[in-house]
Amino acid sequence: MKLTNSNAAPRFSRRDFLKAATHFMFWSGGLLGLLGLARFFSYKPAPQTPSEFDLGALSAYPPGSRTIRPDIPAVILNSGAGITAISLVCTHLGCTVEDNGAGFSCPCHGSRYDQAGQVIKGPAQQPLKVLRVEIIEGKTARLHLD
Amino acid sequence: MTHFKSLIFTITLVCGALLVAFVGNKTASGTVPQATPTLESSRLSQPPTVVAPNQADNGAQAYWGMCMSCHGDRGQGLTEEWRNAAFPPGIRDCWQSGCHGSDHPANSFELPASGIPALAGPGTLARFSNALELNKHIQTNMPFSRSGSISSKQSWALTAYILKLNNVQTAGLTYSETNSAALPVHDKLNLPESEIPGALILAGVLGLSIFGLVYQYRREPSGSILKPVRPNFFQHLHPARIPALQARLRYTLGAGGLAIFLTFILLVTGLLEMVYYIPTPQQAPISIQTITTLVPYGSLIRNLHFWSAQLLMIVVTIHLLRVVLTGAYSHSRRFNYLLGLGLFALILLLDFSGYMLRWDDGIKWALIVGSNLLKTIPWLGAGLYQFVVGGSSPGAATLTRFFFWHVFGLTLAALLLVGWHAFRVRRDGGLAAPPLQRPRDQVITRFDLVRREVLVMAVCGVLLLLFALFFSAPIGAPFSDTSRLAGDSRAPWFFLWIQVLLPLGDPFIIGVLMPVSVFVVLGLLPYVLPNTKSDELGRWFPAGNRIAQVIAVLIMLTIFILTILGALR
Repeated sequence: MKLTNSNAAPRFSRRDFLKAATHFMFWSGGLLGLLGLARFFSYKPAPQTPSEFDLGALSAYPPGSRTIRPDIPAVILNSGAGITAISLVCTHLGCTVEDNGAGFSCPCHGSRYDQAGQVIKGPAQQPLKVLRVEIIEGKTARLHLD
Repeated sequence: MTHFKSLIFTITLVCGALLVAFVGNKTASGTVPQATPTLESSRLSQPPTVVAPNQADNGAQAYWGMCMSCHGDRGQGLTEEWRNAAFPPGIRDCWQSGCHGSDHPANSFELPASGIPALAGPGTLARFSNALELNKHIQTNMPFSRSGSISSKQSWALTAYILKLNNVQTAGLTYSETNSAALPVHDKLNLPESEIPGALILAGVLGLSIFGLVYQYRREPSGSILKPVRPNFFQHLHPARIPALQARLRYTLGAGGLAIFLTFILLVTGLLEMVYYIPTPQQAPISIQTITTLVPYGSLIRNLHFWSAQLLMIVVTIHLLRVVLTGAYSHSRRFNYLLGLGLFALILLLDFSGYMLRWDDGIKWALIVGSNLLKTIPWLGAGLYQFVVGGSSPGAATLTRFFFWHVFGLTLAALLLVGWHAFRVRRDGGLAAPPLQRPRDQVITRFDLVRREVLVMAVCGVLLLLFALFFSAPIGAPFSDTSRLAGDSRAPWFFLWIQVLLPLGDPFIIGVLMPVSVFVVLGLLPYVLPNTKSDELGRWFPAGNRIAQVIAVLIMLTIFILTILGALR
């Protein structure tokens, strides 16, 4: 049996080990930097838009009335049985729908809804969202977006 | 090399020690018991003193002394209930008791007829959008009878206490002008975790890799010429081998390479800052305070950007002096020297425009003085002023223009020039060195060169990281016309030398002609004065261009002394 040449470098020399360790350190440094970067991008500022709106006195919404509040945007309905609210945000891609007399139509992609917010014509699939209305002490109303 | 290695080893040790110190400190502070508040028998008595009071604790004391009698012990305002609790039966009706009428006694004062509002509870702080506005209101309007008498420190303590009463105090933070514009008075915020552990770990990992590099570098001295290794992209940017004389750190000081590295850091951190920076007069300082206070690692990134920019200014000055004092700009390298001077001017403009983007109280005078200096230029002045300011006086358009120049216009020009400058180094035959005598044994390979460069970069990067971790870049309250005039009227430090001389004469001559002529004189050196002979190249202070060396040193020394004088004013 022959002995291996003592001058030949071992398969994984000390130098190789140092090189690998140095590379490992550099790459883990880079990885740490990336993790920090992910945290840097994770900052979320406080929400700017309010999540509830004061609708004012109930007397402003007599039975049979339809009031459009473009700032929310929503339509406030009083069918006689109480106050309800329908969001005017199209369920397709979020444009604000317009009142076309017979219902609502979306200016962006032509979705159409009836007075109750049900879809008449696509591309929207879902009916307009019904918003929660809270009656406070039987006198004023507050609308919640959530 | 050995003492260099021991330096690196020391740095690594220091990194480790800092890490240990931090961890130890954290565990120690975590075990300190919190003082439990004790119920007081009387609602009028002084709040208990705390051993190590925080800002809100100090605010509680100040509130007790100055605010409580009117605004109530819980910030409820002067309610019926509080009057009955706090005052003796005879003087409970504050408006009619005689103490606070129009003919009140000497030791008393008038009360606002509209009543005294509550400070705590839903909706009470609705008129303020951030803590800075709340503080400003306290400082200018309170107390009612002696408005403006509260010291800045006390009004910040009161701000913290009132926010605490409203349960929206940001814990672990001292409210001040440098962070309060980003802190709302309606939401409770949590500060991001400390940047220190993450950055220290990163510095430690990089420090270890430097150690590995140095170790390998010592063991493997340029013996790998014959090794069949294919150069990677970064190695390909370098010549296959260069004379060892050119590559000595003692000769180049590594300043040119370091400048490119700093430029790279500036690009990356600058891009990251643009994610959150909003370039409008109202929002600019607020968004910067958001970056430094609320965004995770935001303050580290901004500090890195700031300190890299300051360091770049110093490094390119050293680079310029090195080139003059070694006569390296001689002959065919004259043109590249001019490119370098152009880059120097661009860096000055980039630093100045970046400084302006803060748009806080601190930049006010630099903005006004800097833009008005343009007006003093004959013929071109009015046009230049309009070009820079974008109107008849500094405003939103000015900030937009500075933003454009800083992040795009000047940056693009500087990057093109950096590329050209580096290209010309190779086109002109590499760094200046005498003709080779024995070419075989005096070269190093591109592998060695890149390794040396990476080494310098890593050392610089670790030091910069540690420095940025503990020293913050300045930011103040939003710029407003009513802000106190005193402010900081000093120019940014790289223009201090001009500011010192400005009182001495005509602003056009001193503020415009003088700095321009410094560039002209430096630019003319290789064209007017005798150049270094080629066998004198590659070492410091060649006899061939003594006059140029004296001129450059005198100019830089004068600027240095004037800068120190300006800083000491």
